[in-house]
Amino acid sequence: MSILLNRETRVLVQGITGRTGRVQTKWMLDYGTNIVAGVTPGKGGEIVEGVPVYDTVTETVARHGAEASVFFIPAPAVKEAARQTIDAGIRLIVVVTEHIPVHDVMEIKEYARDREVMIIGPTTPGIITVGEAKMGIMPGNVFTPGRIGIISRSGTLSYEVSINLATAGFGQSTVVGIGADPVVFTNMPELLRLFEKDPGTDLIVIVGEVGGIQEEKAAEFIDRWVTKPVVAYIAGLNAPAEKRLGHAGAIIQGDGKGTPQSKIAALMEVGVDVARSPAQVVDLVRRRLKPG
Amino acid sequence: MRLYEFEGIELFRREGIPVPEYALATSPEEALEKAQGIGLPVVLKAQVLVGGRWLAGGVEVAKSLDDVLRASRRILGSSIRGMPVHKIMVASGVEVAQEFYLSISIDDYAGTPLAILSAEGGVSIDRIARERSEAVVSRFVSISQGLKLSEARQMCRKVGLSGRDLTEVAGVLTALYRVFRTYDALIAEINPLVRTPEGKYLALDAKVEIDDSSLYRHPDLNLKLEEHILNPLERKGREIGVSYLELDGDIAIIASGAGLGMTTMDIISQRMRPANFLETGGAITADLLYKVMDLVLQKKGVKAIFINIYGGINPIHEGARGIVRYMQEHNITIPVVAKALGNHQEETWEIFRQHGVHVVTDVSTEKGVEELARLLRGEK
Repeated sequence: MSILLNRETRVLVQGITGRTGRVQTKWMLDYGTNIVAGVTPGKGGEIVEGVPVYDTVTETVARHGAEASVFFIPAPAVKEAARQTIDAGIRLIVVVTEHIPVHDVMEIKEYARDREVMIIGPTTPGIITVGEAKMGIMPGNVFTPGRIGIISRSGTLSYEVSINLATAGFGQSTVVGIGADPVVFTNMPELLRLFEKDPGTDLIVIVGEVGGIQEEKAAEFIDRWVTKPVVAYIAGLNAPAEKRLGHAGAIIQGDGKGTPQSKIAALMEVGVDVARSPAQVVDLVRRRLKPG
Repeated sequence: MRLYEFEGIELFRREGIPVPEYALATSPEEALEKAQGIGLPVVLKAQVLVGGRWLAGGVEVAKSLDDVLRASRRILGSSIRGMPVHKIMVASGVEVAQEFYLSISIDDYAGTPLAILSAEGGVSIDRIARERSEAVVSRFVSISQGLKLSEARQMCRKVGLSGRDLTEVAGVLTALYRVFRTYDALIAEINPLVRTPEGKYLALDAKVEIDDSSLYRHPDLNLKLEEHILNPLERKGREIGVSYLELDGDIAIIASGAGLGMTTMDIISQRMRPANFLETGGAITADLLYKVMDLVLQKKGVKAIFINIYGGINPIHEGARGIVRYMQEHNITIPVVAKALGNHQEETWEIFRQHGVHVVTDVSTEKGVEELARLLRGEK
């Protein structure tokens, strides 16, 4: 079992004819993803890695029953593409693209919310249901199938935590990067809810970082709704205040909100074990779970 | 990108928000000339990209021309919280009957614009909200609908405004929302908006920050990188397309993601001191990492480099070629330790090993940093 994505999910790749789109389509296919079609406006009729390319999303839904889409689309084009994809009836979208104007993100978020579409990202490595399928850019070889669900703000840290867990014999069910921007389409609690329901997940790992209030909100949600054990790691203990650390979201504001300390305190208060490093996540997981 | 006050004021003016008469000066003599044109009294304000200018001595009221010369000389030669002052604003001094606070920002978690209004201004909104929460009202704005005048008026009523105060302040609030939307702002704030005894409403300050990811669609703003990113290495980072932040230690960090970069910084900080934070994002090429090596080594006194990269979207084997080419061409002899995992990891390790980079194959960053510490102690 898993959340959001499995080997049957009929996946569409938008921006499939671009450099990144082509390479990542190959990696996703090699991993086992059921990619049924690609879209690049103006490139309809081409074939990329054996996948037929169309001009519009609507055609892929009609002909191939596409139900989920992953975007390798340049930032300026994402807003319009997202509207078309939602209008075509796709219900899950993964936006890998970085540097999308935050006003566009807010517009897409409102549009998707009104139509009950789940979008993951932006600036996300995507979703991987380990051993089955992936929508995104994560390297398959750092994950091992198992029963831990991971929710991460950072892409690279989701790899670091997963490979440390895998090396110690703990595999993952599904790993989701929620995206590193200050505004993301889907917040942490929504994914906690899915992992809590998933019979294939026994423990949830949250990988957070400085800035924002995702982790504090996750703590509130865990307190009320999550019965499974949760382990967390928060990056950026040594982040200087009022400086952005790469991710637009990673900034400690002058008002003292969003510090690693406030996140760690909020999580510990609701019974979450908080690790001091990605490697220490393994030690904390070991207390709660047998390897496998 | 944070704008200077004078740049923010100009955007206010364009959207119809009334501002006092003002001019800019880069020398005391110029300030004097501008003050004569505007008429006394004037307010002299340091143009720097930090808040808290009043407390730091960056703002002074001048009632005579002698005052203008003396004060502008002092402010132009000073630093405000570490920022040297090169430019001052000479603004017409106004009398204040009442102050208001207005802002449009983004509630990150909700992912929606947030309008905030207070019938008290001048001090920090956090303080007003803490001490007199009834004087502050905030409201989410639907980004597809925008802030309607009727909604702005409701906000005014909630903080006790009536009559002309209500209509005028509501008008400014909707104009401020237009600034926020038109220029892709992260925040557009007026603190304070004032009513003068004659019943004029004027914005006396402007805090505007534009979303970096949107700058491509605002060439009209004509923002110059060298005037907004003052640290030369941080500016260089932006020019080559990476995120670089200068720190005060001596271990350079190169990471392929911000989260991983932060973790690396945290772990190195336990026993050593990072020279910088650097993350490449997802566009690694040989050329980019060649430039990144050059960037981190421009900081004086760097005694080792720790590289922490994952091959996901990034072709790390190509990146490795850029790194070793830089090392060969510049005869780099300080320890370079690399932890590289993911797609193409074996190829990457091979390239590094052939050129004297110490490769960490362990999956934990702690182990990598331990190896770095051992190398720096002269152990093998």
